[in-house]
Amino acid sequence: MIARLLLLLLALLPVSAPAQEAPLVASISESDVEITTGFTGASVMIFGATEAPIGPGGDEILVVVRGPTRPLVVRRKVRALGILWVNGPSARFPRVPGYYAIAGTRPAWQLLPEEERQRNGLGLDALPLESTGARSPRFRAALLELETASGRWLENAASVEIEGSRLFHVEFPLPATVPTGDYRVEVLLVRSRQIAARQELQFRVDRVGIADRIATVAQAEPLIYGIACVVLAATAGWLGSIVFRRG
Amino acid sequence: MQVYLPIAEMSVDALLLVGIGFGVGWLSGLFGVGGGFLLTPLLILIGIPSPVAVASGANQTLGASVSGLIAQWRRGNVDAKMGAVLLVGGFLGSGAGVQLFGLLRRIGQVDLAVSLFYVVVLGTVGALMVMESVRAILRRGKGGHRNRLHEHFWMHGLPLKMRFRKSRLYISVIPPALVGFGVGMLSAIMGVGGGFMLVPAMIYLLGMPTSVVIGTSLFQVVFVAANVTLLQATQLGTVDLLLTLLLLLGGVAGAQFGAAMGTRLRGEETRALLGLLVLAVAGSLLWGLLRTPENLFSSRPAL
Repeated sequence: MIARLLLLLLALLPVSAPAQEAPLVASISESDVEITTGFTGASVMIFGATEAPIGPGGDEILVVVRGPTRPLVVRRKVRALGILWVNGPSARFPRVPGYYAIAGTRPAWQLLPEEERQRNGLGLDALPLESTGARSPRFRAALLELETASGRWLENAASVEIEGSRLFHVEFPLPATVPTGDYRVEVLLVRSRQIAARQELQFRVDRVGIADRIATVAQAEPLIYGIACVVLAATAGWLGSIVFRRG
Repeated sequence: MQVYLPIAEMSVDALLLVGIGFGVGWLSGLFGVGGGFLLTPLLILIGIPSPVAVASGANQTLGASVSGLIAQWRRGNVDAKMGAVLLVGGFLGSGAGVQLFGLLRRIGQVDLAVSLFYVVVLGTVGALMVMESVRAILRRGKGGHRNRLHEHFWMHGLPLKMRFRKSRLYISVIPPALVGFGVGMLSAIMGVGGGFMLVPAMIYLLGMPTSVVIGTSLFQVVFVAANVTLLQATQLGTVDLLLTLLLLLGGVAGAQFGAAMGTRLRGEETRALLGLLVLAVAGSLLWGLLRTPENLFSSRPAL
C-alpha cells in the first residue's frame, strides 16, 4: 500500500509543486476509521513530499495527531486505617486529548527551540494540561504514564520514514480503546530551527454497525435501551432453557 | 475472537466472555443461585470498568434466573405472595442502591465500596453457610433430634401479620420487606441478583421451608435484577448489552449442566461447597484491598 501511495504522490508532485511552489504536500491514507464489532485497533498513514531534500541540515518533518479531548480525573490511592488502600486526593483535567501521537525525522526537542516547541504543544511534556484539585505535579506525570501505557499517547514510537530524500511517510497505530470523534493531524516542515510550513489534515473515528447502534440507542433513548436489555436478557435465558433442556 | 464492547468501549476476547459465562452458569445451576457474586468480580478482573461490570452483571443475572424461575414455577415451588412482599422492599432498595452507587461514583469510591461490600457480605454469608452446613453434616452422622419448623423470637411479635400459605407461615410483612430492601440495595451496588443472601435469609430469618425458598428467591431476583438493569441504563448508562448477551450465551448452557449435576449432590454438601466458594471470592477481594497496588494512580473519565 505504501508503495502505491508514494507512486500516486510522485504522479501528483510535478504538477502541484512548481505551480504553487509548495514547500510541503501531505495527505492521509484514510479519512474514516470505522470501529466495527470486531475492532481491535487500526492505523493511519500520513505521507507527503517536500520541495527540498529531507535530512540533517535540510528540511525536517514533524507529524502530530490529536484526538478529541475529554475530562479525566486522576486519583491517587492512599492508606486508610493503616491497612486498606482507598482512592485519596484527585486532580481533574478538563481537556485531555483522547489520543496524541507525535513523530518526526528527529525528536521535536532536537529540531525546535524550547519555547517554540512548548507553544505548539509538540511532545508529551509540552501538552497543555490545566488541572484543578490536587496540585502535585505527580498527577500530571501519572496521567502521562497511564495514557502512554494504554497506547493512546505516543511520542516518537513511530518514525518518519524517508524515501528518495523528498518523500516521507509515517504510520500511527490506533489502539482498540481510541475514543470516537474528529482527529486533527498537523504536518510541520522545519527548516533551520523554525517552522517553515504546516499543513492540517483530519480524519474521523466512528463506531459503525451493531456497536454503533447499541451505543447510540443507549445514549439517546436510555429508557428504551434499558427495556430492550431486560427483554433481550430474559428472552435469551428462556430460549437457553428450552434449547439446553435435558430429557 | 476479539469483540468490541460498545458501552465499555474496549475490545475483549468473545470466547473468554462465553467461557466465563459458562463457568459461572455451571456453578449457579449446581448451587441454585444466580452467580452474580462470582461474575462481577471476574469481569472487573479482566479489565471491564466496575460500573459497566456491575450493571451488565445485573442484566446477565436477570437472564440466567429466568429459566430457573420458569422451571420452579412449573413445579409449584414459588410463593408468589411472599415474593411480592419481598419485591416491594426489593424495588425500593434497588432504587436507593442505584442512587448510592451514583454518589459513590461521583466521589470516586466505587471500587472501594464494591470491594468492601463484597468482602463483608460474602465473608459473613460464606462463613455462616459453612458453619451451618458442617453442623448439619455432623448432626446427620449422630442421627440427632428433629428441630421445630422454625424458632420463635421477637420478630414474630411485629404487627401487620399476613398468612403465606405456600410457605406455611403467619408472620408480619415487615421482616420480609426489610430483607427485600436490603438485598435490593446490595444487588444495585454489587451487580448481583442477591440469591446467595436471600436464600439463607429466607431459611434462617423468615423460617421458610427449603422447598419454596429457591423458587421464591428466583422470583425476587428476576424482578429486582430487571429493575436494577433499567435504573442503571437510564440513570448511569452503563449496561453493555453485547457483554450481557455473550455472557448469557455461555451462562444458560452452563446452568443446565450444573443443575443436572446438582441433583446428585446432597443438600448439606452443596451448601458447604457454596459457602467455601463464597468465602474464597471474599478472600481474594480482601487481598486486593490490603495489598500495595502496583500503580498508586488511576484515571477515570470525569463526570
